[in-house]
Amino acid sequence: MSENLEQTFVQQLRENQNIIHKICRLYTSDGDAHKDLFQEITIQLWKAFPKFRGDAKFSTWAYRVALNTAITLYRKSTRSVSTVEYEQHSFFISQEEYNSEEEEQIKLMYQAVHQLNDIEKALVFMYLEDKDYTEIAETLGISEVNARVKMNRIKGKLKKILNP
Amino acid sequence: MMEELDLLKKDWKKNENSFEQISEVDIYKMLHKKSSSIVKWIFYISLLELLLGIVINIVLSFTKYDTQSIDLYKKWGVYEFYIVITVLLYAVVLYFIYKFYLNYKKICVIDNTKQLLTTILNTRKVVKNYVIFNLTSFAVIFVTIFSLGFYHIYIDTMLKKGIEHPEISFKVVAISLLIIIIITSVFTFLFWLFYKVLYGILLKRLFRNFNELKKIDL
Repeated sequence: MSENLEQTFVQQLRENQNIIHKICRLYTSDGDAHKDLFQEITIQLWKAFPKFRGDAKFSTWAYRVALNTAITLYRKSTRSVSTVEYEQHSFFISQEEYNSEEEEQIKLMYQAVHQLNDIEKALVFMYLEDKDYTEIAETLGISEVNARVKMNRIKGKLKKILNP
Repeated sequence: MMEELDLLKKDWKKNENSFEQISEVDIYKMLHKKSSSIVKWIFYISLLELLLGIVINIVLSFTKYDTQSIDLYKKWGVYEFYIVITVLLYAVVLYFIYKFYLNYKKICVIDNTKQLLTTILNTRKVVKNYVIFNLTSFAVIFVTIFSLGFYHIYIDTMLKKGIEHPEISFKVVAISLLIIIIITSVFTFLFWLFYKVLYGILLKRLFRNFNELKKIDL
């Protein structure tokens, strides 16, 4: 593949990397797994990049590939994958920041979301990203009505986890 | 319902840019790392399965064992049958490889999640059918060859003993057939178990997510 393509890709990815970080935050629970998933998503994006056409936004396209990688392609590994080492300090908001009651609740919410299954996490992720139900349904391959119903169920489920 | 999720959303947005940023240099490095995706695993294992039969056959055809068994088949008068079956088996294997390749090509990470899961599982299904086909034909051929072998060896022994028109009693046939079938069943069962465990581990998550998506649309 041409140098030029690689350069364009790397630049686009650097600018849009928070999308991937956010997905990693939902789907992994420690720094190493975060790196591992980030790398796998990067590889999948790169592999699919030649098919990416400029008519869509890079971010929209990246959402889909990244989510699919997290849900489908990524193998949670117990083995140590050779990942690119990069400096990391705080992928997660440090917990000391939570002091008021509201912040305590947010912390519990994050924990509750981590208990959801892969598909539910995807719905929550897109909800948090202000995606509309048309896009959520389209991304997952379900009907819009059912995406709505499922989202309400997830809200109920989260409520139950939080107030057992 | 108090929207706890909206509280989370507020925080989510606030911290949107709190991630340690990865430099372009590190992204470059990542591009040249090997993927550890499940599809890659499935691809390599499937390819191994598809090719294993062929490789074993080719290796065997260079051994003395093969010439010996071909002599035996000729003696038993089933050589033509053996050739036809072999050609047929290769044709079927090639068909499976072709189908596998077609399905594999369809796997596209830009598809929606349900579609992506469907294509991956379909690709896997081709190999599963191939394995079922292989085990069945293996069992049938195994039983046939052993029955034939048993029959001819029995007759030969009887002839050597000076019995001119030897006949096999129904009891002997029944018992030996039973033994052969039991042995074959045990082998087939062990294979099946191996596959169940291997793909149980490999496909568990894919099936779980696929079923979850199916359930949503019920």
